[in-house]
Amino acid sequence: MIDGSQILVTAGIVLAFALNGAVIFTILDVKGASWMQRRPGPLHVGLRGFIFPLAEIIKFFQKEDITPTNVDAPVFKWAPAYVLASVFGLFVVVPISPTLVGSDLELGVFYLLAISSLSTLGVLTAGWSSANKYSLMGGIRAAGQLIAYELPLILSVVGVVIQAETMSLVGIVEKQIEFGLPFALSGQGLAFLIFMIAATAEMMRVPFDMPIGESELVSGFLTEYSGVRFLIFYIAEYMNMFVLCAVASTLFLGGYHVPLLPPEWVNFYGPVVLITKTVLLGFILVLVRWSFPRFREDQLQNLAWKVLIPLSLLNILITSIMKVVF
Amino acid sequence: MDDILNTGNVPYISEASVSVEIETEDMTLNIGPQHPSTHGVLRLVAKVDGEKISSVEPVLGYMHRGYEKLAEVRTYPQITTLVNRIDWVSGFANEIPFIAATEKLMEIEAPERAKHIRLILTEMARIASHFVFNGAYALEIGALTPIFLAMEDRERILDLIESVTGGRFHPNFNRIGGVKPAAGSGPTTKKNVQDLPAGFYQETRDAMEKVLEAVERMEDLVGGNEVFKARTKGVGIISKELAEEYGVSGPILRASGVKFDLRTQTDFLPYDKFEYEIPVGENGDCYDRWYVRLLEMRESAKIILQAIDSMPSGPLQTKVPKVIKVPKGRSYVRTENPKGEMGYYVISEGGLGPYRLKIRTPSFSNISILPVLLEGQLLPDLIAIMGSLDFVLGDVDR
Amino acid sequence: MNPSSNAEFIESISTRFSNVENEFDTLKIKVKPEEWVETAKILKEEFQLTYFSWLSAIDWENEVSVGDPPKESVSPHFEIVFCLSESIEGNIVLVSTEIEKEDAMIPSLIEVFAGSNWHEREAYEMFGIEFNNHPNLTKMYLPDDYEGNPMLKSFELISREVKPWPGEVDVEGMPENGSKEGN
Repeated sequence: MIDGSQILVTAGIVLAFALNGAVIFTILDVKGASWMQRRPGPLHVGLRGFIFPLAEIIKFFQKEDITPTNVDAPVFKWAPAYVLASVFGLFVVVPISPTLVGSDLELGVFYLLAISSLSTLGVLTAGWSSANKYSLMGGIRAAGQLIAYELPLILSVVGVVIQAETMSLVGIVEKQIEFGLPFALSGQGLAFLIFMIAATAEMMRVPFDMPIGESELVSGFLTEYSGVRFLIFYIAEYMNMFVLCAVASTLFLGGYHVPLLPPEWVNFYGPVVLITKTVLLGFILVLVRWSFPRFREDQLQNLAWKVLIPLSLLNILITSIMKVVF
Repeated sequence: MDDILNTGNVPYISEASVSVEIETEDMTLNIGPQHPSTHGVLRLVAKVDGEKISSVEPVLGYMHRGYEKLAEVRTYPQITTLVNRIDWVSGFANEIPFIAATEKLMEIEAPERAKHIRLILTEMARIASHFVFNGAYALEIGALTPIFLAMEDRERILDLIESVTGGRFHPNFNRIGGVKPAAGSGPTTKKNVQDLPAGFYQETRDAMEKVLEAVERMEDLVGGNEVFKARTKGVGIISKELAEEYGVSGPILRASGVKFDLRTQTDFLPYDKFEYEIPVGENGDCYDRWYVRLLEMRESAKIILQAIDSMPSGPLQTKVPKVIKVPKGRSYVRTENPKGEMGYYVISEGGLGPYRLKIRTPSFSNISILPVLLEGQLLPDLIAIMGSLDFVLGDVDR
Repeated sequence: MNPSSNAEFIESISTRFSNVENEFDTLKIKVKPEEWVETAKILKEEFQLTYFSWLSAIDWENEVSVGDPPKESVSPHFEIVFCLSESIEGNIVLVSTEIEKEDAMIPSLIEVFAGSNWHEREAYEMFGIEFNNHPNLTKMYLPDDYEGNPMLKSFELISREVKPWPGEVDVEGMPENGSKEGN
């Protein structure tokens, strides 16, 4: 039973959630940066810096959308859309409240992890089609890195799934409410840490920003993009950051739930609670981004394969044993 | 399934694919002249195999301004304006060896007070230069915050230099036989010239306290970071012998374990009156080069504080003829620039300008080691190594 | 303390080499072109001067198109100088030799000091001096199709052609002071 208006409403919620998320995180990142770096611009200029993202967007719209001569034009032009679409796809299953959810899939976690790896393709094609050696290297680095970090990401969530006995995101939150403690504090602390590290690598943020690696690869796969297409990558990056933080808060921090508030009002405070948790996680990412240098490619792979994956396997083992014992 | 695996003679598919050596062609990667971390316009033509570099050929000349030729058609006082611009990050320090060489040929000596002012400003230039390095190096490794903090801290030093000389980058403050009276302090001919601006001593003391704080903070923020250590320790090791053979000097040489600082050997700046340490590295890797420079900032601040306290009074200028003619002779004078050995070989034929001026710049020799050093490194290490050499293209190309 | 005021070092250099000058704290050994590489070797091995500082050349010419000519007439030749030092006491020495301008040629120091590579390339480009056995004697700074050797005294500086030097007044005076001002 597909209802047109239902789809429109869902799409509206997802869009509003996603775009607002991107704006919130842009402001968060920029303000965090200027706070840490004593930059006056985004802290004081224009309504205390809050219209900064607007200025940013207008700036990108003013710029010429350049398609260099030798690029593979159709691929080059569509790569940003591809990345953006795959990020949008993630928002569908994130519950803002038990009922305010794009689609509460039975296999929500599975869907989430599958879709999140799709943006790799967009990045890789962007790098390849740019006809630029730096872009190509950036694209290949991105692919290698995303493959390496997809595994710990998935494996860390497995622990949660075992503990919650469901793959539905709403189900996972309900389980945490039932349990009384978020999973991050009840057995999945290690998984939470691994998830956040892997998610940072997935977002290609410092210290895992080698695909962009400004000082090495100029701007990696983004080098040849300008104007609106660059803006789309830019928005997708912040949306991705937002949604992964939202997923982390849903999986590990109890999502839309907060103790002591009446459950029947969850539709009203749910979004606020979720966004607050997301922003708190985002703030940690901002702190990390503006204080850490960048890893080297081989160090990143070592970290993924030799540390994070064994640890997440260990986490699964311990969770399963605990599950059987208790 | 077992049948397939147990056929014995047939190798596993995975093994078969591993044993094939794939012949790949090296890709030529042009790093620069427009690249975020080549400090301007250095160009490296690198042959890369994936991320691995098989050879590097630096291409220079994008900043070549022919100063050695220009010096031949200028009078001695005019040349100081040129040499200011060789290493624009530490303009003041460039003037010293040229002035010293000329003074040596003219057999005059600057008054004590002028020497002290020269020393203070040279050390300030060193701190400013090392601030730039500290910020830029962290940026090249991938940390974005330190450069903002470093630039802000450097600004204090530049303000001080400006308050004395009137210029932030190109002071052009030295005169043969002394220094120019400070900005806005009136003509030299009048008596009771106020040579340093009012409040300079106190401002300098405050600024030096801030420098010491900043060094502390930088040590925490950058040096205490595990990722930074992982990126720089054991990377780009320059042995003592290699460094000397290529004429690598300054903090890079000291990071390789050679305790050699030209400041201990100058007779035209009163370094021997002050107490300071010469920081020396152990391994000669990128981390040591970074750390030696950081420690040097601390020592420079200490020298400045001592110099402020023991500032002698007296004239700023010794008596020099109105038209400066340098007698026939030749002299090579070198000093410890923030980047290494900076020397001028002045050959005078008794005219208004030098017959030939050889400018020995530290960065030129320092980066001549790049092809040797970068062979077989990874691309991210190339950036780390290149950054740790702290060169300025004006200093390379002249 | 000054580097070349180290009397012991100067003494030992003076006994080892015949033509040693020490003017204005700059110790200089004059050698013949044939002894060029040999001198570098001796200095490196016997005197521990392992630090290669620089190498450059001087164009001695009576007819100059830039700057002042030498005071006394000289026989036109190239003088090549390299500078060695050591990194303990800072002893420093310059070694100089004279070569003909026609087919200017000198053995490369690269086998003794690998660091002379770029310095020799620079001298080759600026003066047109050939360094034998140099592996990569190509232009350093200038474009590949550039003709001429800019540091030669015969090489004209275009800006000085337009406004000759030194001239009586090199700096134009301020309008109200008339043109007699200027240094």
